Amino acid sequence: MKSKRVVSSGVLAGIFAISTLLFAHHGGSEYDTKNLKTLKGAVTEYYWANPHCQIFLDVKDDSGKTVNWGIETLAPAVLRRAGWNPQLLKPGDLVTLVVAPSKKGTPIGMIRKLILPDGKELTGGELGEQPPQKSSN
Amino acid sequence: MAYRSPQLSAKSNTTARPNPRPWAARMAAATALCMLSCAAVAQSTQPANTANHSAAAKPASADAAQNSKFDPRDLSGVWNPAPYMQPKGEVNPLDLGGNPKPLPPFTPTGRAAYEANKKFVAAGAVTSCDPYGTARNFFTPRPFEVINAKDRILMHFEYYSDWREIWTDGRNFPEDPEPDFMGYSIGKWEGNTFVVESKDYNGKQFLTWQGFPIGLDMHQTERWQRMDHDTLKILFTFDDPQNYLKPWSITYFWKRKNWQLDAHPCTISELKEWDQRMGHVDGLPGLDYGKAPAGK
Repeated sequence: MKSKRVVSSGVLAGIFAISTLLFAHHGGSEYDTKNLKTLKGAVTEYYWANPHCQIFLDVKDDSGKTVNWGIETLAPAVLRRAGWNPQLLKPGDLVTLVVAPSKKGTPIGMIRKLILPDGKELTGGELGEQPPQKSSN
Repeated sequence: MAYRSPQLSAKSNTTARPNPRPWAARMAAATALCMLSCAAVAQSTQPANTANHSAAAKPASADAAQNSKFDPRDLSGVWNPAPYMQPKGEVNPLDLGGNPKPLPPFTPTGRAAYEANKKFVAAGAVTSCDPYGTARNFFTPRPFEVINAKDRILMHFEYYSDWREIWTDGRNFPEDPEPDFMGYSIGKWEGNTFVVESKDYNGKQFLTWQGFPIGLDMHQTERWQRMDHDTLKILFTFDDPQNYLKPWSITYFWKRKNWQLDAHPCTISELKEWDQRMGHVDGLPGLDYGKAPAGK
């Protein structure tokens, strides 16, 4: 089941140096970047396409009911540079996604981190160069 | 499935589609020819990277070695924007919170156009695949590639796969211009600064994602400087008396990457599919702006 709702694809503050709604194909609402949500479930669809890719995931909520979440990502070109590819996920894969959920409370989110079945972690990619990190030493 | 250029599709099970922009296909073909015939002109120090789309990080020592022998007149390669390097106090093309400061020095006409554009931009609507023009392409946080040819420099912007020609054969602007989204650009070297003059824009695009307008008489100047092996600086000056009281500037930077650009054309079919799949039933705009799917 595909999600029937969508919110804007804002780029996540604190994840990408550039935080904006406008690198999106729909505007109007924001994701809640201050209250990230961790979703664990089975992939039902992995859609690799411009303008943005999507992951659909069956997740059990607190009451035990299965909810199909629609997770937005950035464009394929950006994901490739973050280590993604069109064959990365397939239906049935058990994955963990850290997302910025829709402020509307709909089962929609913007990807922040993907944890694959083997434990490998991938970010959702970057827009532009990131400022150099200051050394902690 | 995403359209991918033929040379990339061999590595993927994605399905290549005919390019929806015939002119873009011609440019791609010209580029392929150029890349074969202009290698000597390009003098690129960038190693070929046809097998890996990723960052393909090189050892720091290799970068350091290359850094000592870059040619300041070789602009070829893939450049990724570094917005954090922009000097503070300038108009920030990525200040997209809805209230950017500072604003350009608008004329009343320019301000009115900006306010009108702002509403459109805030709505996030993607209702066409119009080329982004030059400035908006530069200020989109995605990489572009510079390719040297005998009589021009070609620019390929990854986002929406827009192409630009900068003529370097000494020609002047055409006497019978045909204004379009990308304008007409001529470039020449002043020392180690590549100076690009552009005009003949059709006024249908924005300078930035914020919706700063472009007038039909806008004259855009770019002063490109390769600061070191990995850093490109461009000073943009926009002279548009219809929309701005005086010329104003943005200084922007890019970092050189050992990347192969991926395909991200704007295609109506994919936008439609996006609308249909994700269902813009939140009232969000799409190609059929304002028309929510049945059953909302």
